[in-house]
Amino acid sequence: MIKFINKPGNYSFTLDKKGQELEIVGRFHLTGNQVGRWDVEIIHSAPNTTSKTTIKGVVDGSARAFVDGIIRVFPAAVGTEAFLEERILLVSENAKAEATPNLEIETDEVHCSHAATVGKIDEEEIFYLQSRGIKLKQAKEMITAGFLL
Amino acid sequence: MSRFAPISPRETKIVKPDLSSYKFGFHTSTDKYAFKSGKGLSTKVVEDISSRKNEPEWMRKQRLEGHRIFKDKKMPEWGADLSSIHFDDIYYYLKPTNKEGKNWEDVPLEIKNTFDKLGIPEAEQKTLSGVKAQFDSEIIYGSIKKMLSDKGVVFLGMDEGLKKYSDLVREYFGSLIPTGDNKFAALNTAVWSGGSFVYVPKNVDVGLPLQAYFRINSPNAGQFERTLIIADEGSKVHYVEGCTAPAFTDGSLHSAVVEIFVKKGATVQYTTVQNWYKNVYNLVTKRARVEEEGRMVWTDFNMGSKVTMKYPGFILAGKGAVGETLSMAMAGVGQQLDTGSKAIHLAPYTSSTIISKSISKGGGRTSYRGMVSIGPKAHHSKSKVICDALILDPQSRSDTYPTNKIFNSDVTLEHEASVSRIGEEQLFYLMSRGISENEAGKMIVQGFADPLIKKLPMEYAVEMNRLIDMEMAGSVG
Repeated sequence: MIKFINKPGNYSFTLDKKGQELEIVGRFHLTGNQVGRWDVEIIHSAPNTTSKTTIKGVVDGSARAFVDGIIRVFPAAVGTEAFLEERILLVSENAKAEATPNLEIETDEVHCSHAATVGKIDEEEIFYLQSRGIKLKQAKEMITAGFLL
Repeated sequence: MSRFAPISPRETKIVKPDLSSYKFGFHTSTDKYAFKSGKGLSTKVVEDISSRKNEPEWMRKQRLEGHRIFKDKKMPEWGADLSSIHFDDIYYYLKPTNKEGKNWEDVPLEIKNTFDKLGIPEAEQKTLSGVKAQFDSEIIYGSIKKMLSDKGVVFLGMDEGLKKYSDLVREYFGSLIPTGDNKFAALNTAVWSGGSFVYVPKNVDVGLPLQAYFRINSPNAGQFERTLIIADEGSKVHYVEGCTAPAFTDGSLHSAVVEIFVKKGATVQYTTVQNWYKNVYNLVTKRARVEEEGRMVWTDFNMGSKVTMKYPGFILAGKGAVGETLSMAMAGVGQQLDTGSKAIHLAPYTSSTIISKSISKGGGRTSYRGMVSIGPKAHHSKSKVICDALILDPQSRSDTYPTNKIFNSDVTLEHEASVSRIGEEQLFYLMSRGISENEAGKMIVQGFADPLIKKLPMEYAVEMNRLIDMEMAGSVG
């Protein structure tokens, strides 16, 4: 099952059936003075459950993004596999971001990981596209669109 | 229990700590102490400590301020449970002897025996540039190689440092970790005693490590050392601290404050090998300020204590400053180790690396709690955080709480964490080669910790491996 969390807000997902699988996808593009806050909680309370969460966002203008995710694995949830990914692209100087991927693991037979990156558009990617005759503005748009795929 | 045994209902009983293997559990009598303050903390105790040390007026005021803030501030509500610290049962000042010995012969026999058992005098002769030994509240022994003192390297107890270099201490003391930074920094400011004062002059390289040994000897003792390290431009120093305590049933409190100033182009490495007895509350505030092209390395090994809350941090204040934290925690029965690191980037072209590894077993709990903050002026900065956790049994727990705050678009920040138990395939591979399950588990754990242990000087690396070996004995499964 796939759940979308493209809009800011508080989200909580519980995997309480044995063998349940869940994919959570969040994509956002903040511009102007927008402030987006995502609080995402993923609870594993049954054995052999799998969750995969990817949140990707582009922050432009003087917008601010706050992404706070947590994976909780309860003692009963043996054999859990959980991944949490938060990737944020800052495309203007005044854009700000906070990415907090938390883990709380209360049993041993698990495989959990998380990753967070905050960065800007790679100069080399821009250079490559420009060398192919694409204008800077368009190159940036292409890279941003590709990032959110 | 072998993991290959039939699956039985999961055991949830909490096992009492087996402390027989803690070899530093002995203690000496406190009857001959030069001075013991009464239990509990009051303005009178604070004033008393200050007047016994003949301190200048500003320090007395700062202590009283610390006491006031300590009383006002609430206990932290996050992290470990600290509700069983009874501040009224703690002895805040215990002075074992009247003076600091310059020769090993001058140290009172009973204390000497303790440090002899810990192997300190031999270690000094072989591998160290200088030594400080602190017993409860006071430094009881100190020495530094003559060659270094000739070059102007200062390595003193903090109290002596305050007397001899009053201006320098006044300029830096509390400027990085202000009195009101947190409740325990305030407590330390109020009742601090002992710790080290290190000053390394310009372009001096202190080749071998300087070492401090901290030993809590009395039951219900509080140890509040205060360390100040100033590495002037282009200098280089490695400071190592080791901590042990006797086996008492009553908990002790260790609450240190460490401030480090890394000037332009200087390098400081601060290594902690913490092996407190498993009843000690270890609540420490450590911070470094790194100027242009400077480099700060925290190597932080936490094995002992009941509760540890420690987040060594660095403020990268100068262009091109580098900060690095290598932290390892191992929590066994009844232990909670809440460790991590803080990287504050204020200047351009700064970089930070935080590598944290933790092992939890027997119901122990480890947490990584960290923060990376990249300010608006810190363009072209890089930060990389890696947290790996190993959980050895179903009763244990591991948490990761990273916070990343980015106020600048021209940065690279990476954070990775993983939590797992010992890989089935890894174990299978080793066992198929005829290695027993226990042995294989130990090898995997040592391999897990190895990248960090490699960063330690040889002698400590050997000691660390031995400690892990001891902790792991019979526990993998």
